[in-house]
Amino acid sequence: MNLPNYFLADLPPEAALTAAMVTDACQTLKRNRESYLANQSTQSRVEILCGVAENWLQADYPFRKMVLEQGPAATGFSRATLANGLDNFFRQFTLENFNALLVQELGHARRLDEIVANSAEEKISRGAMARGPEFLAHIAAGNLPNPTLMSIALGVLTRSAQFVKCASGASFIPRLFAHSLYDAEPKLGACLEIAEWRGGRGDIEKALFEEADCVTATGSDETLAAIRHHVPERTRLLGYGHRLSFGYVAGDALSSFQARKTVVRAASDIVAWNQLGCLSPHVIYVEHGGAVAAEQFAEMLAEELARREETEPRGEVTTETAATIASRRGFYEVRAAHSPDTRFWHSENSTAWTVVYEADARFQLSCLNRFIYVKGASDLKAVLAGADAFRGKVSTVGIAAGEEKSRALAAQLAAWGVTRICPLGQMQNPPLTWRHDGRPALGDLVTWVDWER
Amino acid sequence: MWSHLSIFATRVADYIAICAGDLSSEHRGHPEFQSHADIEFNGLALMLFTLQFDHNRAYRKLCEARKITPENVTHWSQIPAAPTAAFKELELTSFPADKRTQVFHSSGTTGQTPSRHFHSNESLAIYEASLLAWFRFHVPPQKNLAILTPPSSAAPNSSLVHMFEVIRRDFAASANTFLGILAADHSWTLNFESARAALNDAVQSGQPMLIFGTAFSFVQLLDYLAEKNLRGQLPPGSRVMETGGYKNRSRALPKSELHALITDRLGVPASHILCEYGMSELSSQAYDLGNRQSTSGNRHFHFPPWARAQIVSPETGREVRDGETGLLRIFDLANVFSVLAVQTEDLAIRRGDGFELVGRAEQSEPRGCSLMTA
Repeated sequence: MNLPNYFLADLPPEAALTAAMVTDACQTLKRNRESYLANQSTQSRVEILCGVAENWLQADYPFRKMVLEQGPAATGFSRATLANGLDNFFRQFTLENFNALLVQELGHARRLDEIVANSAEEKISRGAMARGPEFLAHIAAGNLPNPTLMSIALGVLTRSAQFVKCASGASFIPRLFAHSLYDAEPKLGACLEIAEWRGGRGDIEKALFEEADCVTATGSDETLAAIRHHVPERTRLLGYGHRLSFGYVAGDALSSFQARKTVVRAASDIVAWNQLGCLSPHVIYVEHGGAVAAEQFAEMLAEELARREETEPRGEVTTETAATIASRRGFYEVRAAHSPDTRFWHSENSTAWTVVYEADARFQLSCLNRFIYVKGASDLKAVLAGADAFRGKVSTVGIAAGEEKSRALAAQLAAWGVTRICPLGQMQNPPLTWRHDGRPALGDLVTWVDWER
Repeated sequence: MWSHLSIFATRVADYIAICAGDLSSEHRGHPEFQSHADIEFNGLALMLFTLQFDHNRAYRKLCEARKITPENVTHWSQIPAAPTAAFKELELTSFPADKRTQVFHSSGTTGQTPSRHFHSNESLAIYEASLLAWFRFHVPPQKNLAILTPPSSAAPNSSLVHMFEVIRRDFAASANTFLGILAADHSWTLNFESARAALNDAVQSGQPMLIFGTAFSFVQLLDYLAEKNLRGQLPPGSRVMETGGYKNRSRALPKSELHALITDRLGVPASHILCEYGMSELSSQAYDLGNRQSTSGNRHFHFPPWARAQIVSPETGREVRDGETGLLRIFDLANVFSVLAVQTEDLAIRRGDGFELVGRAEQSEPRGCSLMTA
């Protein structure tokens, strides 16, 4: 299947981008939006998004097939990892979920269409509407595709012209998603641009930021600081810095009956997108006192990761990444040979997966790509004390615990500053209504118009 | 207990002396010569492995965890390589505490635990024999030295400074050749005035000069010369030996750029710039020039015949094919009292019987608060 050159990212690599090309593209997008997208209803946008998502879930959908066939080479993710990642993502795109998102963030499903009032507003004689940005620019991070696809979907809801700047080498899936939108509704596709360049091209980025009235950016603190420096004062900048996540398994999720299920869930979070997202766990903490000890949990997890490698292989990584994993394994091999407080398990003849058990409960950053720490902990308090250096940087904590215990853990985590708590096994599947790093992802895009009657 | 190792150390010293004698032999490179050398190296390596397995407790545990003992090793390449991390975590030595008269630390970036390589007079003697035999093969003696590091008194745990000091003594050069000093924060910097004077003297006197330094000390010197708008033509026969990375101590330059600047500011041509690869965990060094320069003209590092490098796949641990990239693993017979097989975290490309350095694996030692990968 040959894709037409709709987007800048479709051009051959030797076609050099210039600031003039970007400015030109931005102005075309704005014109196209003005003549079509700005006049569409929220309902029609939700239907388009759900229709396209429905297509993506079909095995014979050409774009899906293309991702699964060419994706392993283009992205490094195995076919199975890509298929699971896409399925979990697009399954969220339902009328009900979009409706829930609109009500949650804007208080009313038609808030983007006209001045409306929900029952609470009726009572105080007021109404309001929300307007999306005319032109939305996204600076996307390269580690995994779904946050970029989500950003595009939100921009479709707000009927914004959108320019997505992908990290170098990371435009493959966003580009195919854009093509799928174009295929479903060419006039919508004409309000969207996908481009790829290595960050730091000041001239093109300046041209882009000049045109945008809202910029979303995902990346390291340094990347965000550099972008903040270049975005004009009048432009809204929504920066999403890097976050990290961990899992917590309470004693009551470790009955001999439950333990196996809990291990499978933990493995799902490690396998999903090869652990490369901000929502992927670096460490799984296992509370002392359950029927299964942390060390035993680690061993079971290793067995499960070995099984998953058969069905959902990690795929290839660069020599540099493999060298980092190999060197870090060397470090733990030395420790494990000399102390019972450290043990480790790993795939043979590959760096596909690694489990390190440590008695020490201090938080440890993983080198990812299915490299997980399992640590014993007396309770959540001890875990949080050991993670203090990362306070404010923790996005998601996946927990395995009974109902009552979960509630108590959630309260403790909330007080400490965690912004998302979910069941273990769901860490990489945030719902459409997820508040990104504690902020309303859709709500932050809009500008309100209040009408006091 | 370590008397067996002491006896072995004298054998290694003899072996180094013999190899050094053969370095210029016209038979070198002949298949028969090479095969004989391989057999000899293998025999010594296996013997040393057995001794280290017996006398180095920390290493033995590591071998046992890998289920490798001297009984099931028949070739030197099967000898378990200790990760450099083991030099940080453990006392990887056969010396009892009261025999350790010297320790070399790795010069890692701030916040990292350094590697520790323990030495005694005995092990330093082998270290020096290995160093000098291979160095003399690459650089003819010169009395006029400039060393861009602080002297041993200011950097007692640096194997690099020790190396320069050994060469200085061997070349019978003045002790005033160390031009480096410690800055207030204990980082290394240069006494720029002395460096300038030393360079001036060399230019005036017409006597060739040999300059040693780390890559970052050369950048410091070149930046200084550029700032002062100074440019000199060191006398013909002058040489530069440069080693190591930057470790955030100066701006980092690609090798080719650094060498071009050295030629531009100091007048030393590329043919007279020697790069060294060494580490505190080893007792032998690799150089990238000499009569074994590759036919392609690219400069590849080579260890002396008493040490061997393998480039292994980080995925499988097996040696990669020629031209492929992997992790550098070194088998150094001169490491008699520590471990002969060392697994580095350096990436290199296999080039014939040498290698090309690529860089270091990122953040392999888990440490503190860095959100690089989240």
